[in-house]
Amino acid sequence: MSALLEIDGLTKTYANGTRALKGIDVRIDEGEFLAVIGLSGSGKSTFLRCLNMLVEPSSGSIRFRGHEVTSLRGQELREYRRGIGMIFQHFNLVKRRTVLENVLAGCLSTTSTVGSITGRFSEQDREQALANLEIVGIREKADLRADALSGGQQQRVAIARSLMQKPALLLADEPVASLDPATSHSVMKYLEYMNKELGTTVVCNLHFLSLVREYSTRVIALRDGQVVFEGKPEQITEQWFKEIYGEDAVEVEIR
Amino acid sequence: MKKIIQAFLLDTLTGLYLAITLHRVLWFKVVRSADAPVFEWWQVGPYAVIGLVFAALVTAAGMSPGRRVVTGERASGFRASFIEHIGWILIVSTFVTGWVVSRVNVLDLFSQQRLDAAGRLFRDLLNPDFGNTQLLSDTVTSIVETLYIAFMATALALPISFVLAFLSARNVMSQNALTRGVYTVLRVVTNFTRSIEPLVWAVIFTVWVKVGPFPGMLALCVHTIASLAKQYSEQIEEVDRGPLEAIEATGARPLQVLWFAVVPQVFIPFLSFTIYRWDINVRMATIIGLVGGGGIGSMLIQYQMLADWRSVGMIVLVIAVVVWIMDYVSARIRESLR
Repeated sequence: MSALLEIDGLTKTYANGTRALKGIDVRIDEGEFLAVIGLSGSGKSTFLRCLNMLVEPSSGSIRFRGHEVTSLRGQELREYRRGIGMIFQHFNLVKRRTVLENVLAGCLSTTSTVGSITGRFSEQDREQALANLEIVGIREKADLRADALSGGQQQRVAIARSLMQKPALLLADEPVASLDPATSHSVMKYLEYMNKELGTTVVCNLHFLSLVREYSTRVIALRDGQVVFEGKPEQITEQWFKEIYGEDAVEVEIR
Repeated sequence: MKKIIQAFLLDTLTGLYLAITLHRVLWFKVVRSADAPVFEWWQVGPYAVIGLVFAALVTAAGMSPGRRVVTGERASGFRASFIEHIGWILIVSTFVTGWVVSRVNVLDLFSQQRLDAAGRLFRDLLNPDFGNTQLLSDTVTSIVETLYIAFMATALALPISFVLAFLSARNVMSQNALTRGVYTVLRVVTNFTRSIEPLVWAVIFTVWVKVGPFPGMLALCVHTIASLAKQYSEQIEEVDRGPLEAIEATGARPLQVLWFAVVPQVFIPFLSFTIYRWDINVRMATIIGLVGGGGIGSMLIQYQMLADWRSVGMIVLVIAVVVWIMDYVSARIRESLR
């Protein structure tokens, strides 16, 4: 397997002095489904946001297919981000806009500024957006306002938005943490679909180990801004679990 | 350390303020009912010394009111009751000073002679002149002019405030030193502009572009730009960061991020503020005529100078009705915008 991302000595210290990441070395291969686990505040979100430079790392290097990412600025940075989809715990849709408009937001970087502001997306993009809604099974909701949808449906809109980018990499920040168990699986299935059918590499922050075991091909665990475990999901034993989550933790399952 | 200094300064100011009001107002005006000697700047010295002594004493005794305010810590027992009494003394002495400074005179309000004058005025005011058709049509023309002045001021201010709002929103402008500089300058300028009442702007513009509706409109417009820019920018500062992150993550350009993630979140509040501002402007436009800003205020001041109180009564009634209708309509529209 060739490396998609090579991360060396990645640190992030926020302006308020919080040291969120304290030197992360990780290699992510093409086609992986990498789960990132750890307690809240362990640095998972920061780690994910460093990968597409929503958060600028303090030091260290990130190479994407061999090219250094951390020095990218302006147009180059936007072109890099275009190839990376991202979905969030709270979906982060624009609530007052329609579902279709939210999906079309995925191709803003290839539409001129004036064109996008006046709503002139290409016919091709519109068809693509509807096709992507078809994939996530909510094409008939295209003209509804985004906030009229249920949580699971909103996350599917976010997935359709990321599909617009035809991403090589999908970043998922706790994608099912605000969903109920049944809906969680349906959302995870779409991530699995992108990973297996479209060959998208997925990096996904997760809370539930049962989901990690079911969907991911590899796991890293963060604790206090450092990698404390790296391996296959089935290698997370009781002992590792305590190591990652602390002595008092008890595993909760989601079926 | 910083808090101790703040508390001490506060105590000193309290002592200084109490010394001045108790000495000059309570002692001279109330007790001796004479005028205090003409104030000279060197007198601040002795008062300040009293303030410092006061601060030193309360600090040493551990019952500093300043410390109570700065740290929020409550003292106990007699110390707490001392601080509480200082609070009451401050309120009472301020009230007494206010009474003296405003020259409150109950006799002026209710003497037979003054009541007679007021009676004549109210008899005419409450008996508006509707018989004069010329006056009626002039009034209607003027109030319509006023409505348009207010509308124009709001409409012209809107696009300018819209752009200024983004440039003076902290979260939009926090990227680098340059944008933060623009933010600070704009904040200072809009705050300053807004603190000057439209009436003052009207005086300035009547000199600049001559008396009439135009300077009145300009005056309202300037004030509206500053007010809306502030309200808009506060709304922008409160937007949910989530959609911004999501749009930014797609590789969108900064203007696209603003348009797709920020504008939809602030559009409805903006509309609501704007309609409310038009409503306020109608009210202000009725006043602005008093200093030559056109509209119904100009008419009002003319008839007031002629002491034609029946006509004044008619004009005031028309203003009240129109302002009330505007108020009602704008409230209903804003309600439907949820």
